[in-house]
Amino acid sequence: MKMLRRGKSLSRAGKSGALVLALLGVVMLIVVPLAGPERYLLKVLDFVGIAVIVTAGLALLFGYAGQVSLGHAGFVGIGAYTSAYLVSTVGVPWLVGVAAAVLLSTLGGLILALPSLRLKGHYLAMATLGFNEIIYVMFREARGITGGHDGFGGIPYPSIGGFTIDTPLGVYLLVWAVAALVVFFVWSLVQGRPGRAMRALHGSEIGAEASGIDTVKLKVRVFALSAALAGLAGALYAHAIGFISPSSFGLDQSIIYLAIVVVGGGGSIVGPVVAAILLSLLPYADALLPNLSQSTVTLLQAWETDIYGLTMIVVAILAPGGLASLMRRRKGREETVSA
Amino acid sequence: MSLLSVRDLTKRFGGVTAVEGVSFDVHEGTIKAVIGPNGAGKSTLFNLLTGFDRPDAGSVTFKGMDLLGVRPCRVVKRGVARTFQNTQLFEEMTALENVLVGTDGSFRGGFIRSAMRIGTRAEERSARSRALHFLRRVGVEEWADTAATDIPHGVRRSLEIARALATEPELLLLDEPAAGLNASETHLLRDALYRIRDEGVTIVIVEHDVGLVMDVSEEIVVLDRGCKIAEGPPLLIQKDARVIEAYLGEEGAADDN
Repeated sequence: MKMLRRGKSLSRAGKSGALVLALLGVVMLIVVPLAGPERYLLKVLDFVGIAVIVTAGLALLFGYAGQVSLGHAGFVGIGAYTSAYLVSTVGVPWLVGVAAAVLLSTLGGLILALPSLRLKGHYLAMATLGFNEIIYVMFREARGITGGHDGFGGIPYPSIGGFTIDTPLGVYLLVWAVAALVVFFVWSLVQGRPGRAMRALHGSEIGAEASGIDTVKLKVRVFALSAALAGLAGALYAHAIGFISPSSFGLDQSIIYLAIVVVGGGGSIVGPVVAAILLSLLPYADALLPNLSQSTVTLLQAWETDIYGLTMIVVAILAPGGLASLMRRRKGREETVSA
Repeated sequence: MSLLSVRDLTKRFGGVTAVEGVSFDVHEGTIKAVIGPNGAGKSTLFNLLTGFDRPDAGSVTFKGMDLLGVRPCRVVKRGVARTFQNTQLFEEMTALENVLVGTDGSFRGGFIRSAMRIGTRAEERSARSRALHFLRRVGVEEWADTAATDIPHGVRRSLEIARALATEPELLLLDEPAAGLNASETHLLRDALYRIRDEGVTIVIVEHDVGLVMDVSEEIVVLDRGCKIAEGPPLLIQKDARVIEAYLGEEGAADDN
């Protein structure tokens, strides 16, 4: 966990980074649909937005509070199946389905917080990994609810009241509006007292207790919040894509989420969000670069996990603080120049 | 009236009795020292007083309230703060941020208000000015924007005291604050201790630097192998036969320093 180093002028660098991100977001929201509402591109960007939401939550848990989770894909799955089942099988309104998804994944987060009160580092990683495996088997075997291996299809589009969001552009805007809100809330959270308490917990649990921070309460809350965001992302995913299967919520996906946060850097929200955008675009590079040859795309997809692994190694060696530290370093250099 | 009252405190680790039937009182507005050879049970005593460890027997009462079985963070909220023999700073955070963590209890806004940015600005500003005040109180304000990991040893000890002060305690427990400090740093520490006491914070200090202890403390408790062997004002302690024997005995063994 030494990889998660933090810089000195955190808040200043964070602010400029967030500004860049906000601009980027606005550009994406306006320009992308104008550039031509291409179905494939929009769907890819839905994936990206969903990854951003999961990453924001995991950045809180791992990048700030220092609590590792190899179970986040499990929470995404809980959210996805809960909402899919409730809306399409039971027939509750979409918003109710999403709310239930968030509630249930939060509950899962509370359960997973229990081992975190006793376990640290590798042991916590193992416990959360076990959680993901159990959840995965449940998705696969509870065929009556989840459809098992064959997946759960025909999940209806999001709808509020009588209004159904059934165009690719509408879904895209919904996903990114939620992602932007989530990033804003999470980013605000880390600017103040909660973010500081989480970093303290990461730095020295004993020191945090001695400073009057209830580390038990804090861990439980961060785990629950992080799981809730993953569940929210899962619910969006189910209704945006319309089809879910257990393979999207396995351990390999959890590892990718964690890799994104490591590449993005600890003690930062902006870094992991940028990493989420870059890394989740990678397998769909052809959506942005239409001239890319089919064989390149196939290669990228076949070697996806290897590329992630390699990226992690390169980041660990060249920039142990991840993208966030690179952004801070550049900022620092600018300050020296102007001084 | 005694602020802190310790009665028959006992703690065993397996077959070893680290603290055995220790009793003493700490009076408001004073500096009390706990001294003793290595392994006398001083740090264990602090852990028992602050909820980091549970005693096997005895009682600890602070302002008439039982402190036993209270978790460390709640002990802090009741007004007892501490530092550690091995400083427990947040290495990646700046000195100012370290002290800001100490002000955590003064915030009303939690997760929801912070996420929505409701009334956080004023709270944050007030916490910052108090944190700076505490950095100045121990004389390390010039390090405010330096990450703890880059701060020299002597300053780190003072920084930890500033963080403890930021919790606004009535009783401050300092575990070897002068360890590793040079003469001039020790001098500054002594001045800081007087200032802190004069502002109404009662202090209990565990310390090896006998010179400092004799200087600052009104009363001394001497522990040896978990037992209290003497208690009284510095001048009497210096002449106490059992104290001299405990210390000379250790020097005779001359190894475990």
